[in-house]
Amino acid sequence: MIEVKGIHKNFGRLEVLKGIDFHVAEREVVCVIGPSGSGKSTLLRCINQLETVQQGHIFIDGVEVTNPKTDINALRQQVGMVFQLFNLFPHKTTLENITMAPIILKGMPKEQAEEIAIGLLRKVGLPDKDHVYPAQLSGGQKQRVAIARALAMHPKVMLFDEPTSSLDPEMVGEVLSVMKDLAHEGMTMVVVTHEMGFAREVGHRVIFMDEGIIMEEGSPVNIFDNPQNSRTQSFLSKVL
Amino acid sequence: MKKHLKLLLVAMLVFSLAAVGGCAQKEPAPQPGAQTPAPAKVLNVGTQATYPPFEFVDKASGDFIGFDMDLIRAIGKVQGYEVKIQSMGFDALIPSLQADKVDVTISAQSITEDRLKAIDFSDPYFKGGLIVAVRADNTTINKYDDLAGKKLAAEVGTIGAAASEKLKEKDPKTQVRIFDGIGEAFMELEKGGAEGVINDWAVTDYYMQTDGKDKIKVVGEIFQADDQYGIGIKKGDAETLQMINEGLAKLKTSGEFDQIYKKWFSE
Amino acid sequence: MAITPYPMLFGATLWEKLTAINGFNVVASNWAYFIEGGLVTLQLTVLSVSAGMVLGLIIALMKMSRWRLLSSVAVIYIDFFRGTPLLVQVMLFHFGILPIFIDSGPFLSGVIACSLNSAAYVAEIVRAGIQAVDRGQMEAARSLGMNGSQAMRYVILPQAYKIVVPPMINEFVMLLKDTSLVSVIAVMELTHRGKLLYSTTYEAAWVWGAVCVVYYIMTKTIAMMGDWIERRLATE
Repeated sequence: MIEVKGIHKNFGRLEVLKGIDFHVAEREVVCVIGPSGSGKSTLLRCINQLETVQQGHIFIDGVEVTNPKTDINALRQQVGMVFQLFNLFPHKTTLENITMAPIILKGMPKEQAEEIAIGLLRKVGLPDKDHVYPAQLSGGQKQRVAIARALAMHPKVMLFDEPTSSLDPEMVGEVLSVMKDLAHEGMTMVVVTHEMGFAREVGHRVIFMDEGIIMEEGSPVNIFDNPQNSRTQSFLSKVL
Repeated sequence: MKKHLKLLLVAMLVFSLAAVGGCAQKEPAPQPGAQTPAPAKVLNVGTQATYPPFEFVDKASGDFIGFDMDLIRAIGKVQGYEVKIQSMGFDALIPSLQADKVDVTISAQSITEDRLKAIDFSDPYFKGGLIVAVRADNTTINKYDDLAGKKLAAEVGTIGAAASEKLKEKDPKTQVRIFDGIGEAFMELEKGGAEGVINDWAVTDYYMQTDGKDKIKVVGEIFQADDQYGIGIKKGDAETLQMINEGLAKLKTSGEFDQIYKKWFSE
Repeated sequence: MAITPYPMLFGATLWEKLTAINGFNVVASNWAYFIEGGLVTLQLTVLSVSAGMVLGLIIALMKMSRWRLLSSVAVIYIDFFRGTPLLVQVMLFHFGILPIFIDSGPFLSGVIACSLNSAAYVAEIVRAGIQAVDRGQMEAARSLGMNGSQAMRYVILPQAYKIVVPPMINEFVMLLKDTSLVSVIAVMELTHRGKLLYSTTYEAAWVWGAVCVVYYIMTKTIAMMGDWIERRLATE
């Protein structure tokens, strides 16, 4: 589903990704962990081209993201993204946040879009929050709406950029729970996270990044219980 | 923070020096080495230096030149005053006198009843009179009365402006566009925004020979020919009034007045 | 404290004193003339700001465009109109540029010059407003598959407009005062009328004082309306 080959990326003179190769298979949940500054968020954002790369290629379901001729907007409709800071549209209600893209981009009639949106709200556990504004929601609720918004476009793959890092601890669970359900339904997911519990329980594969390269990758059991790389070990000893 | 503060202070210092240096539009300073004995008194003169040939700015030197300029400098010389000339808007002349910003004004000012309410005038020194100017290609306007109902341009506060406004009594459709300087009024005429400009004959004549060549022409006769220019003096300032009139008389007697006149109005 | 007839007496003497002053009479008998001038000023300002808003938005978007040609044109435009005095622009347009194309009277020239000038300032206000919208908003919109224009239209601009309201009201007030400059091309707005009335009466203090009062009434009213609008937007 996702192929990442030989990515190099710098911000000015700072090299952030120093040669990344990895792939994500369909229905796979890949969790990316690592210290801050390791480049994991940048890597995620390269996948839907919110960041551009200087070298390398990225493919989603065979379509090359890094090719300038590719219709990136059409491609992004197939890739849902959930942000650390939610990025809900504050001037729109919850329902409108979710229905906006399908109506504008797919020409979906309003009633149909709203039906789907209400279904999604129910799915993320917020059935009665359709007509409130984001400002009236808690952090956990906002993130769940954000997930619903991304799902409204029926994407093939979902990217999560530290989805719970800005949440108060008591709200982390409700969001992870939605993500877990999504995974069990077979969604292809790439999750950058610090929630090791989630990675261990839900992830099919864990990738550890540090200083712009992939240090180690493997099944959650291997990574968490038997890290081979010294960096991995030292990181895990600090967070677990 | 300290570095920024220093930079800000330096910038402010530079700007205030520049401001002081570029103060009021006064005459350029006399050349160094000129043999002028230190004068006893200073005469501050106000004028609107955009009115050739009476007062205007010499393109080469930047000095104020013109008939009025030569005249007031001659009066100053013969009466023992150093003359310092400032240029300002025409409508600023009278308030400047009233507020003691200048001692006299000389700016082709016609002696009128209205003005006499506000200031005093010296003895008359020039015979004025208005004339109508139109675009060179105009064929429909031949005299003052033809301007009724048309668009006119004039300079603010002049008797030409008053004469233009008077046409509204004849035809309320008359439009009068009032500008700060006669130059703009002529520009409005040339660009087609106005069909006529009523102004002093001497100035219009000069303009037709210089920048206005082939662009405008005069039609009709000189009217309001009993109009005369005077030197403006603050109301009640009898001392200055007497000084100026004395000076004028001296120049007329000595023939210098005629010389200055011939220099600018050789007809 | 005062006996009832006393204030009336005082009022009467005050009135007598005032009407004895020529300047007061000039202003009092011409109050309609001044109000009309104020209305022309207002008309000039409203037209210019409206046109300026439309043009300013276009120029702001041009400046932020990826196409070098568009952004360069926008930069030159903004630099010129913000970097030269409005007075000079007014003269330039009325006497120099517009006559080539049309026969524009003073009012039209004034509106055109002020509109073009205002657009340059509005462009910067709009650009700052757009850039003040959180970057994450654009990212969210783009990640859903919207292109730049769709993101602008549905997500960014609706949020930017609230941010630009205070500086726009400020621009309105500034332009209202700046329209006094079009008096040099004989537009019959408030300042010009002051000039004309002054040139026939020589009552500098009263005439110009009255002009100031009318300007103040207009700017204060607009400032108060602006405050009300800002309060309304804040509670939405």
